[in-house]
Amino acid sequence: MVSLKKIFVSMSVAFVLVFSLLAAGVMADNHTAKLRVVHASPDAPAVDVYVNGDLTLEEVPFKADSGYLDVPAGTHNVEVFAAGTEYAEGEAVLQADLTVEAGKAYTVAAANTLDSLEFVVAEDSMEVTEGKAKIRVGHLSPDAPAVDVGIIGGDALFSGAEFPAITDYAEVDAGTYDLEIRLPDGTQVLPLEGTELAAGTVYSVFAVNTVDSLEVLALVDYEMAASPDGMPTTGLGTPEQSQTNWMLMIAAMAAVLAGGGVVLRKRFQN
Amino acid sequence: MLSGCQETADEVSVRSKDVGFASERKYTASDTAVKTAIENPINALKREGIEPEKISIPAIGVEAKTLHLGTKENGEMDVPDTIEDVSWFEPGYKPGENGRAVIAGHVDGIDGPAIFWDLAELEAGDEIIVEGEDGQLVFRVYAMESVELELADVQSVFGYRSSPELVLITCSGDYDHNRGTREERLIVYTELVEE
Repeated sequence: MVSLKKIFVSMSVAFVLVFSLLAAGVMADNHTAKLRVVHASPDAPAVDVYVNGDLTLEEVPFKADSGYLDVPAGTHNVEVFAAGTEYAEGEAVLQADLTVEAGKAYTVAAANTLDSLEFVVAEDSMEVTEGKAKIRVGHLSPDAPAVDVGIIGGDALFSGAEFPAITDYAEVDAGTYDLEIRLPDGTQVLPLEGTELAAGTVYSVFAVNTVDSLEVLALVDYEMAASPDGMPTTGLGTPEQSQTNWMLMIAAMAAVLAGGGVVLRKRFQN
Repeated sequence: MLSGCQETADEVSVRSKDVGFASERKYTASDTAVKTAIENPINALKREGIEPEKISIPAIGVEAKTLHLGTKENGEMDVPDTIEDVSWFEPGYKPGENGRAVIAGHVDGIDGPAIFWDLAELEAGDEIIVEGEDGQLVFRVYAMESVELELADVQSVFGYRSSPELVLITCSGDYDHNRGTREERLIVYTELVEE
């Protein structure tokens, strides 16, 4: 098991974000959307992702996710090429015009087998009730049957999830759950015992790979934390004060000089 | 000079004029799916942060005690009363958690420079070391901008990210006498250096 982990860790190649954030102008403005790319096609090679003709993600391997990238609101031409392929317009293995709204977050998964590659797009939640957790599942295993996800020996949280779909979120109390992916008849497909769902956290759990090697790609969509209503006031000095001080000093010096001048003149007169 | 002009340029505004950059960033593909065989992959997602007690920025010779503050009555992020300390926005993300932890410090005091006087001098790759009781984290500068107050989206500056970031803020730009503060905020974006 340990060696398996090592192999996979070494496979987690770094990929590069080439997208220029400065092109959007101010980074800290409110006209951007969040976009996350997931490679969920079991037999596809690592891919390069181009946004509006620009190389944005390089060498994204199967089961990798890009994390959220900031992109300007609007419609973007998203194209997927096998990693290392020279870019040519219209030659992508997968292309879509994707419209994103400011302040929203999206997951774009490249799913299905290589010969039927398709995008599965979902809007991600960036809010959760305090003390609660939110979870949804995605069925991204092309040859797996419809499944339920639920408590072992208990109710289903999600019923009849079919490829290729991402369910709505379910909000649950934070806590530890013995979950499983199972067939509607109750046969267990994959156990997820001791799943800890933390308060204030939104999860996506995607079933990926082929049915005979089904596995789970778990992602956090959002973690709640407070933010203030305004930026800090981080300067105690005011130029007015120092300027006034300077004016006073100059005036004082002028007075001294003027006075001195008078004195000098008097002396010369003497 | 005093003929009704409400914005005053001074050394701070000159030093923070036209600063800003964004560097190319490397993303590491997550290996979360891989842990399936070993442990529950959902439980491998949680990243614990540290409560910062001290920060150091060797590139500009900053070492500062880090106070834990929240918001002021008017809703603004609170800041230290002193010019030598900085403050972490405690209700927000912790350094090391996914999301943007925010630390603010003054650029100047009544008599001259304060702890973040040289913040605009930072360059991509400069390190910020954050120390807490539970350990130490190193962040690396990847972008900087000076943003007009009305353009700064607080939700974004203090917002969620898929990886741990630390944001440093100080005042910049001309002094606006009507508002009693500078017109801009210098925002330095840094990302966690993974071991």
